[in-house]
Amino acid sequence: MSAKDVFRTRFDAASIVLIPACIGINYIGKLFASVLKLPLWLDSIGTCIGACLGGPVIGGICGAANNLIYGLTTGDSITLVYALTSLFIGFFVGIMARTGFMKSFPRALVTACVAGAVAIVISTPLNIIFWAGTTGNVWGDAAFAATQAMGMPLVLSSLVDEIIVDIPDKIITLIIVFVILKALPEKLTALYDASDKVERL
Amino acid sequence: MKSISLYSDNGTWLCRVHPFTKVMYAVAAISVPLILGSLWAFAAAIIADLALLASGKVLRRARALIVFSFTIIATIFIVRSLFGQEGSEIMFSIGPVNVYREGFMIALRTGLNILSMLLAFAVLVLTTNPQDLSTEMERHGFSPRFSYVISSVFNIIPQMMGTMSTISDAQRSRGMETEGSLITRMKAFIPLITPVVTSSLITTRERAMALDARGFGAKIKRTYPETREKHRGDTAATVILALIVVLSILIKAALWLS
Amino acid sequence: MAFIEIRGLKYRYPRAAGLQLDGITADIEKGSFTGIIGRNGSGKSTLAEAILGLVPQFYKGAYGGSVTVDGLDASRTPVSSMCRKVGLVFQNPFNQLSGANDTVFGEICFGMQNTGVSAPEMRERAEEVMEMLGISEFRNRNPFDLSGGQMQRAAIASILVMRPDAIILDEPTSQLDPAGSEEVFRAVDDLRRTGLTILMIEQKIERVAEYSDMIMLMDGGKLIASGSPSEVLSRDDLEEHGVRPPLSLRTAKALSFRCSDGTYPVTEKEAAGLMRGRIVISEEENGKESQAPDAATENAVMEVRNLSFSYTAGTEVLHGVSLSFDSRRTAVIGQNGAGKTTLAKLLKGLLKPSEGSILFHGEDTAGKSVASLAGKIGYVFQNPDDQIFKPNVLDEVMFGPLNIGMHPDTAEMKAKEALSMVSLDGKESRNPFDLDLHERKMVALASVIAMDTEVLILDEPTIAQDDDGKLMVSMLIHTLSERGKLVISILHDMDLVASSFERVIAMAGGKVIADGEPAAVFADSGVLSAAGLELPHAASLGRSLGAKRIFLTDSSLLHSVHRL
Repeated sequence: MSAKDVFRTRFDAASIVLIPACIGINYIGKLFASVLKLPLWLDSIGTCIGACLGGPVIGGICGAANNLIYGLTTGDSITLVYALTSLFIGFFVGIMARTGFMKSFPRALVTACVAGAVAIVISTPLNIIFWAGTTGNVWGDAAFAATQAMGMPLVLSSLVDEIIVDIPDKIITLIIVFVILKALPEKLTALYDASDKVERL
Repeated sequence: MKSISLYSDNGTWLCRVHPFTKVMYAVAAISVPLILGSLWAFAAAIIADLALLASGKVLRRARALIVFSFTIIATIFIVRSLFGQEGSEIMFSIGPVNVYREGFMIALRTGLNILSMLLAFAVLVLTTNPQDLSTEMERHGFSPRFSYVISSVFNIIPQMMGTMSTISDAQRSRGMETEGSLITRMKAFIPLITPVVTSSLITTRERAMALDARGFGAKIKRTYPETREKHRGDTAATVILALIVVLSILIKAALWLS
Repeated sequence: MAFIEIRGLKYRYPRAAGLQLDGITADIEKGSFTGIIGRNGSGKSTLAEAILGLVPQFYKGAYGGSVTVDGLDASRTPVSSMCRKVGLVFQNPFNQLSGANDTVFGEICFGMQNTGVSAPEMRERAEEVMEMLGISEFRNRNPFDLSGGQMQRAAIASILVMRPDAIILDEPTSQLDPAGSEEVFRAVDDLRRTGLTILMIEQKIERVAEYSDMIMLMDGGKLIASGSPSEVLSRDDLEEHGVRPPLSLRTAKALSFRCSDGTYPVTEKEAAGLMRGRIVISEEENGKESQAPDAATENAVMEVRNLSFSYTAGTEVLHGVSLSFDSRRTAVIGQNGAGKTTLAKLLKGLLKPSEGSILFHGEDTAGKSVASLAGKIGYVFQNPDDQIFKPNVLDEVMFGPLNIGMHPDTAEMKAKEALSMVSLDGKESRNPFDLDLHERKMVALASVIAMDTEVLILDEPTIAQDDDGKLMVSMLIHTLSERGKLVISILHDMDLVASSFERVIAMAGGKVIADGEPAAVFADSGVLSAAGLELPHAASLGRSLGAKRIFLTDSSLLHSVHRL
């Protein structure tokens, strides 16, 4: 698959309408996780689905728009800061999906690791700049405190904190996305990956 | 219908101010203390936020918005000021616990910054209709697709939340447990989320067709049924706020050069 | 030249095996009312989408032949331009709201905004269509908060406001209750009088017969027949193509009453005009319809005692309802908001009563969880999409049985049996969401039947079904009942209520206003008006023909009417 195919993006109504739906799915995922009292966020399911269906650009837009809209309208400015992380998660998951890394379960796990790595690389500096290195998650911050007490440099402690918080979440998220994508009907997926050409009968 | 937007029109002047002016205010109130970096600037910004919230009669609702941040701020204080690096200065001690000056100051600054951001956004969010904001952005050159995304998020999420309880009922009716051990609860996630995702994507497909059928995406300049009433002082306020940002950059630059 | 010209139109969806449209040629004249009929899956909606150009522009796929609207090639003219010539109203009112407006007024303006209508004209046109469709009072309401009928009228308004030359209505009432359908049909009737070109796809054959100048009958993607209503509906092969002729026509045909042109009358009025005075109706009730009420003596399976319920304190939706359910097939009827679904959810244990108690075989269900009652009481929700989550039909149907602890082999057997009961055998490995809505409803039905519960509660099983589907639901209800199960169904389809149920509970305002045999309930006009219900077609035709008694089924009417 050429680079052009990987980044090919349509901005027709079908793709535009996909964005709010995916933002909604993010929100519902988070809500169900809290209703079921799961120790995970699961708030990027929609972004990943958008990325798998619409490609890296739509995925990136879903991610960034998600955090910007919530941040700017619900006053949750903490979310706002992570717009950058969401953007890159959507973008990279989109690339992985377009290059066939959502086709089988083991491959989806590779995508999950990529998503986790992206989250860590982008979020750690943000944590250090905005929240003095912490993540706001109890387990992660406990590790942060412990490693700080051991005399580890701030960047490393923050990294450990972020790994504990994000890796399990991203792995579970992409497993869920993989299962959901399997259940999606062809009628729907055909809309996003069918060729642009109309065949003449 | 329950909205996820925190806006409600309480008739005060703050609600009538142009959304852009409030955006400019939030930008200024957040960036100026960050640029200047002094604790006094943070304090001034927070006081300005509180004064505006009070005069817009939304102080009480703002409290709900910031309460959740206290645990984060507390965590930052504990983690940063109590677990200092070797050799850092001890500010004071409570029994066996040492509080380090450097960490404490970092935590204080971070905490104030969080508060200042939350409050500045509260001024915008509690008094601005998101639909209004997106329409205004569209009129000033943003793509209609962009404002469509913003407005529809606010309408679609309450719909999805409505189906959440139906789905939960439907699956429990088929004997699925939603309570119990972590494994049971984890297993319930897929049967709950998949119908929302699939049906909202199917809805999406139909909605996309319905939008096409109503001329969405036509290469024509969009028109609007109503024109927005201008609020007195919008332009002046925006200019002054921009000047304050520029001024603070200049002060910082001057301090830095000297 | 006709306004819409369809020439040899062929279309195949991407990745689909067969053609969805197969060589359709038709002309639609300006100012005409065209009804499009045929079974589910016959290609009616695809044809509508092809006229607007969504097929092939939105879906891609394979396309042949041509559609020309007012001289424009529909396959190439962008839909955003074509929408000024043809408007399309979809089945589901909810899915066609733009989602970007929080008032009805804003929603109606959305299309005009896209086509650049000036502000004063936009406001004027919006007011005009809101007035025409009777939704002015909702102008500042959130469109998502409207009832189905109101929402669909808003959808029609938002298409009309763009002033298209023609409007296509794709089963505009298939997902609405009778009151909502009536509102929409009244609006359609008004539109018809304005001389607008209208195409209406519809299963309610009586309506099509009443409104249409021309009817197109489709099956398997082909146009089987087109012509005047009486011409098309008089065809002998109509039922082979999945469409039952209106009862008026069937009655006239059975008695060989023909109009002057040799066709049969299609509407009740025409039939009555032709037949009154030339027929005798035997008023004697035959055996089946005069069953002695032996019900109360039977053992109660479920009982509710003095049941009250409110979602929010102070607004009760059920007031002191007491009922006893024995093994009779029971239909619960009444308008939306009468409390039917609330009652059903209470029976199922999804809601807990504010007052009163619910007994299952004499045992109070108060302390039991929904999951633990799941093996005893089955509940089929109205919208199948709220439950489907497995990638294939068989797994979906086995989910419930496995949850209630059935052995996997038994579960598979029960699932397969349930699927064959709803005629879905052979589709076990399909993705449920690749099936059409009417088939997904059957999947949901099968997924509860497979749990082999003693009680089955069905919420609107016939919505979105065509004539064949309704017949299947009716047979299913009989089969389940014969197997000793208590079937309780919420229904809006009075024909089905009259023909397939032994007991009718009519509700209004959170109370039971009538409870008894169908004949008794439908004979009480006070109850019918209080519950906002219509008569079954058999009863209403019987009355038009001058019968005194209430006919419940088509066959009893057909057997009792004789030519003089």
